[in-house]
Amino acid sequence: MRDELLKQAHQAVELGKRAGAEDVTAGVSWSRGLRFEWREGRLERVQESTSRRLGLAVYVDGRYSTCSTNDLDPKRLAAFAKEAVDLTRCLQADPYRKPTPPELYEGRSDVDLDLVDPALGDLSREQRIGWCREMDECASADDAVHTSECWVSDSHSVGARATSNGFEGVHEETGLWAFAEVSVKDGDKRPEEYDYAGGLHLASLPAPATIAQEALRKAKLRVGSQKIPSLRTKMIVDPHAGARFLGRIFGALSAGSVQQKRSYLAESLGQPIASPLLTLTDEPLLVRGMASQHYDGEGISSKRRSIVDAGVLQTFFVDTYYGRKLGWEPTTGSSSNVLFAHGERDLAAILASVQEGIYVTTWLGGNADMTTGDFSYGLRGFLVKGGEIAAPVSEMNVTGNYGEILMRLSEVGNDPVPWSSFRTPTLVFDDVQFSGS
Amino acid sequence: MTLTHPSAAADPLLYDFFGIDEAALSAVLSEAMGRGADYADLYFQQSRSSSITLEDGIISKASSSVDRGVGIRVVVGDQTGYAYSEDLDLDAMKGAARTAASIASGGGGVPPQGFSRGSGEDLYTVPEPWEGVATARKLPLLQEVERLARSLEPALTKVTVGWADADTRVLVVNSTGEALADYRPMAVLSVNVTAEKGQEVQSGRQSLAGRFGIEHYTPDRLRTLCQDAIDRTMILFEARRPPAGEMPVVLAAGASGILLHEAIGHGMEADCNRKGQSIFATMLDKKVAEDCVSIVDSALHPNERGAINFDDEGSRTERTELVENGILRSYLHDRISAKHYGLERSTGSGRRQSFRYPPIPRMRCTYMENGPHTRDEIIESVDRGIICETFTNGQVAIGAGDYTFYVKNGWLIEDGKITAPIKDVNIIGNGPDSLSKITMVANDLAIDTGGWTCGKDGQSVPVSQGMPTTLVSKMTVGGENA
Repeated sequence: MRDELLKQAHQAVELGKRAGAEDVTAGVSWSRGLRFEWREGRLERVQESTSRRLGLAVYVDGRYSTCSTNDLDPKRLAAFAKEAVDLTRCLQADPYRKPTPPELYEGRSDVDLDLVDPALGDLSREQRIGWCREMDECASADDAVHTSECWVSDSHSVGARATSNGFEGVHEETGLWAFAEVSVKDGDKRPEEYDYAGGLHLASLPAPATIAQEALRKAKLRVGSQKIPSLRTKMIVDPHAGARFLGRIFGALSAGSVQQKRSYLAESLGQPIASPLLTLTDEPLLVRGMASQHYDGEGISSKRRSIVDAGVLQTFFVDTYYGRKLGWEPTTGSSSNVLFAHGERDLAAILASVQEGIYVTTWLGGNADMTTGDFSYGLRGFLVKGGEIAAPVSEMNVTGNYGEILMRLSEVGNDPVPWSSFRTPTLVFDDVQFSGS
Repeated sequence: MTLTHPSAAADPLLYDFFGIDEAALSAVLSEAMGRGADYADLYFQQSRSSSITLEDGIISKASSSVDRGVGIRVVVGDQTGYAYSEDLDLDAMKGAARTAASIASGGGGVPPQGFSRGSGEDLYTVPEPWEGVATARKLPLLQEVERLARSLEPALTKVTVGWADADTRVLVVNSTGEALADYRPMAVLSVNVTAEKGQEVQSGRQSLAGRFGIEHYTPDRLRTLCQDAIDRTMILFEARRPPAGEMPVVLAAGASGILLHEAIGHGMEADCNRKGQSIFATMLDKKVAEDCVSIVDSALHPNERGAINFDDEGSRTERTELVENGILRSYLHDRISAKHYGLERSTGSGRRQSFRYPPIPRMRCTYMENGPHTRDEIIESVDRGIICETFTNGQVAIGAGDYTFYVKNGWLIEDGKITAPIKDVNIIGNGPDSLSKITMVANDLAIDTGGWTCGKDGQSVPVSQGMPTTLVSKMTVGGENA
């Protein structure tokens, strides 16, 4: 498959050149997925998918466009390439649109990232159903349970990329995930919680029953949740919830948002943007990492980079286009695996030491304006009193500004979720505004 | 890339367009029903979409994409087997059909040998499908939006204009021997602006979206689009956060329908009710709101994003009353849930993102009917609260019933008068609780023209929403300094 797709990518580059493009980038991808959903003791849904796609980026007379199709019939590809070139000719010349400079392809790591597990190809229907059954039995064993649902899915994808200025590469990965959701009885309400786990390898999947147990445990803790009055207090963010909260600042770290004046961090390079406890590293070469890659979307060879060091901003995510517009050296257009410098303790120890606060387990809606850093999110979680989890809290918002709240980061845990590319440990922020009743 | 515009008269069911015939359809359905099935359907789709970006004064990028395939579904009771093929070759389709059939375990069913043409609505005929509109004719629209925006507001430092259009053709064929074909256009024009005043920077956006052709983008509408984006952005320089906590919330006419979408719409989708997951699962025919509250989800509003001539399982679409004078009347059904509940037919709510996904119950255009009050009466009735005007997104947990939506722009109401502008606050409530707290509804229903998209189970579909000015007597507002 790898060789076949790479050959198709090279052929597509040729077709683009023949159609009149000066430079061409071609990507050909193939993916396969299978998902089994289970409910009330039997299969609810089986879903199989296999996709192929060809994408072409063409540069014609200083103009640029991208075209893609899932019709890979060789008889029609020449016409497809010609339409791509014709479309591009209609546009305006943009002096900043140029192919990736070949020197950025150099120095590509050849470390084995171990992203493919051939054993997933041998999984049987019985094995998948067995996992579903295991989760279902565990989730429905408790009288408190109102409904439960679970699924198991696995995937395999290969993407080949070639360009007219000398790049070629193939990225391949597999994945296996299990998910369980449980709702429990609570008067008129049916509070629901879920848990999931998995990774790129068979060995990444914990015993499925533990996933269902965790969903059930979390759902039972929601019973009797209530509104509490507005307050300012500490906010303890669960490792599962950290990525959604902190991941938003990456929108303000892209060169595109800086150049388009939509980043509150535009002037912050070399400046403190968070408390000294925050140290973030982008690590694309992590073995078995969820977002590991040898090269990025533009073919730039992947490198480990410091993003924030002891609270000080070290770099932006600079692709070649916005790099040219800003006169900045390109780095990479977006993050891969984001790793945190760890603290000393895990969630349980942190909760015990934080006497009072709100422990956030899940965000519900909300948004942020990355031009100003203003945010406001809905949440569910728990009131923490005397170092212990007290009442479950619902219908609460947290509101503030990223520029301010990151300075009030007062503790970083040592307990990130392994199956995430954004590996937040437990985080504690001081003096946060919550609105309730 | 065989993208010729089929003549509706010569190829009404798009058989030639997809390169198939009745014998092939029977053969594929025969495989799908090979292990027994209550029902099976084939969903052929070809979409051609294009997008264009104007940034820093230059039409800097265009994209186009073609996607086609057939989704094959086998239904046994509440169970679904699903597979698709991107290749419309008979053997490839039969292979996918066998995969879908693996959900069943009985003997073979008999597929129909011939198909009759089903009927649908006619809600979005356009003078000219998008594939016939040359890129060169779209570019002046983007350039005019940029010129207008800059001329209307000198403080703008950045203007980005985005364009997207799509032609989608679908053919649904099912085991009852029905076949229906549709052409579905879509267009979105959006403008993002950034303004600077001294050291302060603010940005905002507006879009104009629907199932229409290029004729819809008139100079007047482009001007309104730009003025809206500018007004939303420039007011942010004066806007502050409201006080945190519970207060009366007035929802302005238009996009405030997001409240309905989150507070009740998702909870009324029948898949999560047949599974017992929704907080509304036991509330049918009960009084859930004041008499002045009637809530509708309709496919029948011409040219709206949520308009569909028939749904994605080939069922007739309709206007469904979710709440009638305060009483919970109907869920939103697909075929599976309609059968589960013993109904004669679905509400035409089975929708899917593409041929890659099985249809599930979804909203279309969700709105509240006009009530007896006026906007002024509602604002005058509020001592201390807020009015919400523009929104970015929302979410709901259907079991607990808690939902939220994010307010981008609004105003404080003090002593019955609109006073200072507010911005960037999330609002959170509980569905049934909020419905019971709707105390006043005005007579100024407006359907929003923005490009709303709804996500559920990993599938996105275009939707619309609308609202008359409405008062919810108490909700929790994100804010500062309680």
